[in-house]
Amino acid sequence: MKKAPQMFPDARIPYGTWGSSYFPAWQTSALAEVNIGQFAGESMARILGLRKVPKSELEYLVIGSTIPWHWKFWTAPLVASCMGHRLPGYHVEQACATGLQAVLLGGAEVQSGSKDVVGVLTFDRTSDSPVGVFPERRAHQRTMAIADVWDNFGFDPATGRAMITAAGITSRKYKVDRREVDEVAYLRHLRYFEAKESGFLARVLVPLDVLNVAGRPLGRVDDDLGVRRLTLGALRAQRELDTCVTGGTQTHASDGMATLLVTSREKARALSPRPEVDIQFVGKAEVRTQPSLMPEAPAFAVQELLKRTGLAMDDMAVVKNHNPFAANDVIFTKITGYDWRKMNNTGCPLVWGHPQGPTLTRVLIEALEEATDLGGGYVLIFGCAAGDVGIAALFKVS
Amino acid sequence: MFKAMRQPTLQTMGLGNVSDIFRRGALPADAGELVDRVFGKSNERGSLVISGSNGIVGAGKTMQLGSRLQPFGVRMVGLDFPGTSDGIGRQYPGLVQAFGREGADRIMGNIVRLTYDGRSLPAELNALKPRFLLEAIPEILEIKKAHYRIFREAFPGIEIRSVTSGFPSSELGVGIAHPAFPHEINKVWEIVESEPSAITQLFWALGLIPLTVSDHWSFVLDVLFCGVTLAGLRVHRASNMPFWKVDKLTRKLLGPNPFRAHDAIGSKGADFLTWSCLHHLSQKYGELFRPTPELEERKETGQAWYPPDHFRPLVDWVLSAEEQDEFRVRILGPMFQMTSLMLHEQRGHYAHLNAIGELCAQFRRGILCMMRDLGPAAVIGTVEAYHLLHPEAAKQSWHPDALAKMDTPDWQQLYVNAEHDGEVGVVTISRESYSWDVDRELNRALDWLKRERIGKVIVTGDFHISTQMVGADTSDFFSALGDVEDGLSITTGWPATARRLNDEFAVSVGFVAGKRCLGGMLELLAHCHHVVAVEDARFGWPEVTLPVVPGMEGCHWPFRKAGRDHWPKLLQMLLTGDSVKARDAVGWLIDYAGPLEEALRIAWKVAAGGDHALPRRALDAGALDRVPQDVSGMPAADGPAAEAARKAIVDCVRDSCRAPLSEALAIQAKHAAGFLTTTACREGRVGAEFARTMTA
Repeated sequence: MKKAPQMFPDARIPYGTWGSSYFPAWQTSALAEVNIGQFAGESMARILGLRKVPKSELEYLVIGSTIPWHWKFWTAPLVASCMGHRLPGYHVEQACATGLQAVLLGGAEVQSGSKDVVGVLTFDRTSDSPVGVFPERRAHQRTMAIADVWDNFGFDPATGRAMITAAGITSRKYKVDRREVDEVAYLRHLRYFEAKESGFLARVLVPLDVLNVAGRPLGRVDDDLGVRRLTLGALRAQRELDTCVTGGTQTHASDGMATLLVTSREKARALSPRPEVDIQFVGKAEVRTQPSLMPEAPAFAVQELLKRTGLAMDDMAVVKNHNPFAANDVIFTKITGYDWRKMNNTGCPLVWGHPQGPTLTRVLIEALEEATDLGGGYVLIFGCAAGDVGIAALFKVS
Repeated sequence: MFKAMRQPTLQTMGLGNVSDIFRRGALPADAGELVDRVFGKSNERGSLVISGSNGIVGAGKTMQLGSRLQPFGVRMVGLDFPGTSDGIGRQYPGLVQAFGREGADRIMGNIVRLTYDGRSLPAELNALKPRFLLEAIPEILEIKKAHYRIFREAFPGIEIRSVTSGFPSSELGVGIAHPAFPHEINKVWEIVESEPSAITQLFWALGLIPLTVSDHWSFVLDVLFCGVTLAGLRVHRASNMPFWKVDKLTRKLLGPNPFRAHDAIGSKGADFLTWSCLHHLSQKYGELFRPTPELEERKETGQAWYPPDHFRPLVDWVLSAEEQDEFRVRILGPMFQMTSLMLHEQRGHYAHLNAIGELCAQFRRGILCMMRDLGPAAVIGTVEAYHLLHPEAAKQSWHPDALAKMDTPDWQQLYVNAEHDGEVGVVTISRESYSWDVDRELNRALDWLKRERIGKVIVTGDFHISTQMVGADTSDFFSALGDVEDGLSITTGWPATARRLNDEFAVSVGFVAGKRCLGGMLELLAHCHHVVAVEDARFGWPEVTLPVVPGMEGCHWPFRKAGRDHWPKLLQMLLTGDSVKARDAVGWLIDYAGPLEEALRIAWKVAAGGDHALPRRALDAGALDRVPQDVSGMPAADGPAAEAARKAIVDCVRDSCRAPLSEALAIQAKHAAGFLTTTACREGRVGAEFARTMTA
């Protein structure tokens, strides 16, 4: 493996101490009825329990979410209380970059020397998202109410355009072929179901049983509900909503949580069921591209990251991204020359949805698991985020 | 000549044995005489001082003892610091409920409430002539000792007992009377004293349940209750399982839900007490008892174990088989090890050790009973499996040698004892509800009497641990709710045991000394040739209210022993669950009712063959005809489940009565077992209890 610098030389991600809920599509599961912060806290305790990590090992908690939830003012300490462990910590939010940014901040926390074991917990519930009421003195309505998820997707206040419009504009810029986009979506679904049937997903996703207020079973969250097997023909037949964007080639809203730990080297060895696996932070890059060209931003972030680390795409063992639009992957190939067929071998958010906060955390967990299966190597994670932002990060599994 | 399967528990209080009670026709101790001994004669009657009387323990015991001593003219003195919240006043509504307004006013009017500064006693106390101090102040050794000092200086010769749950008598310098929650109504007191005292005997004579235990750090109840709490804490610590789920699974496994109990008692005080007990136990006995950091934190903060209502749990913990096994080991392993320690230290009569868990710590079955079921090899295996998970616990306080006694009568007869004088046997049942454990022990007791060639037997409560007979332990029905074969094993097995009282003894007498004899216990005693009771005892079959169908031959046996004229009354009792007073049931359900001493004498005469003039009611072994199928003027059933139960009971009465005795057992067994699997039963109280307890 080619040598590269380490961003946080003292921080590690202990292999196998992670886990994610399944991501059921919005309004399809019991998650539509929960306080997602409470759910995430309780689920993290359960996942760590299954991974044989006593929560008493945790010293700090970084949480990430993007959609307001009841009592979010109390941020990480409240979620930690729901976990049953009184921890300090804070909340981070960066749209769809949240899940990766929270992990990186966990690494920074460990690198700072202040903590040895930091929990990273990301979550969101798009179902029944809250409606915010904002006094807007300069608007003729005087008061504006927006539904947190859908009204934001539909309107970037900086450009006045919707997310989907950005996908269309960028597809036109790169002369993306609709047929290729359909092929991306088809292959991604194929890989997802292969990973599911092989048992790979069951190693990182944890079925969780939700209770109602009376303590009776409300439902078991044990599937990425809403994901369907697609045929290429069906994808081709779908109506285009904007250039290269159809119902089948864009992601869907979903609910869920994902968690992992960031620790010192010593603690990683102590807590991991496979202490010989070493997972390091290599580097991170973030860019903001021109207005309404969000799908190209991740490629630029990756280019910057590779330049800084001296690595090339061919050095990567696993490449995964957050791809709300299948066009993102085609555009990535057009900019970097890296074949999109080599990415996202176990599925991706295009397939299993887009709960925002935990999306890139789940992507990272799947990638680290896949890299471990491969015997190690560099893991490249990247994605786009609201505001025409691209984020990329590199990890090394050895 | 007196012989017993094992030591009667009355002997632990210096009160002899149960055979003597019947032979003498009198109880071994009289409350009035004992009040005179403890508090002085009526013209010089002293008072009982309870210090810390506004606390949970102090206020509860002021009520419990105050209501019993007020008729004897013993003044109660409640002593506490000024400014403490009024714990005694809060008890008044409960008193009114139990004794009526007039009775409650009388009891409250007998309580003198004084405050003091902790250093000197109030002058008014002199006039009240304190003779007995029950200390219920905080668990701080030096404060307690100083407290005794000022009382002894002011009132030399005063008897002192501490309610401490942790400090041994040898450290405190006073005797121990450690009560159990809830303090207003729980009758059990763990007693530590070198010789049985008049105070202990007085407690017994007042209807309380003193259980003598040895003088070690923390007494049996606290080893069990704090122990199960600690075991739960270790589960939590190892697996992250939330406390509410630990509770649910512990309740399913053992019975108690320790964390809910701490919150219910008041988490700050309860957490401190639990910590204090475990802290001292760990200092003496090592890591097995070491409090976890969660408890250390909570004894300071008093933070509740359960989340607030707005955070009622969202994520359930559905355990894999492997996780369930680990949970079982983590709970039972330390409990078995702690019990081995208590046995090794000879902390008490085995029946006491067993009963304390059931009566005071919500154990469905006592700890010794559970261990007996598993056998020594499985118990040792469980503890050793626990040691793999918690190696530090293996270093100290594990006494597998104590399990060697498992086959002895001390351990085998936890609920049922048998005594005889060479002529008459007395079988004592120390459990209020009939269960498989009682059934097996009863069979062993009857076998023992047969081997001893005893042909006459009295079956009775034990005049100690069991103060009434309430029927079957419905938790034994749980497996029968879904499996008719399990039900049949109960409804054929238990009545087969009961029939032995009729078939295998020349004379058998069922004796009821307590307030009530209901359900399965009544069916059991009804199989005796004679039933003798104190006049105010109540008899009934509340099965229809659960609903279940009586399964120990209650649907035909009493009809076979009662005249035809009484059959409508029997049917009405079965169909309504209404009870009848002993004195109103003579001649058709029982054979004699009278004051206690008279009833004791009659029972002995009947058993011993003396002149008692009590005819034996004949048992009609043939098919009974024209048994009524309904009762006129009976109130409507309370809902469809009760209606279904009534119909099932009528069917059972009809079919089992019109068969000869030789066939009736199997017929009633089929009806009773069949009903246990019905929706009506599963949706009733037994089913609800099953769902609440066993479906965690």
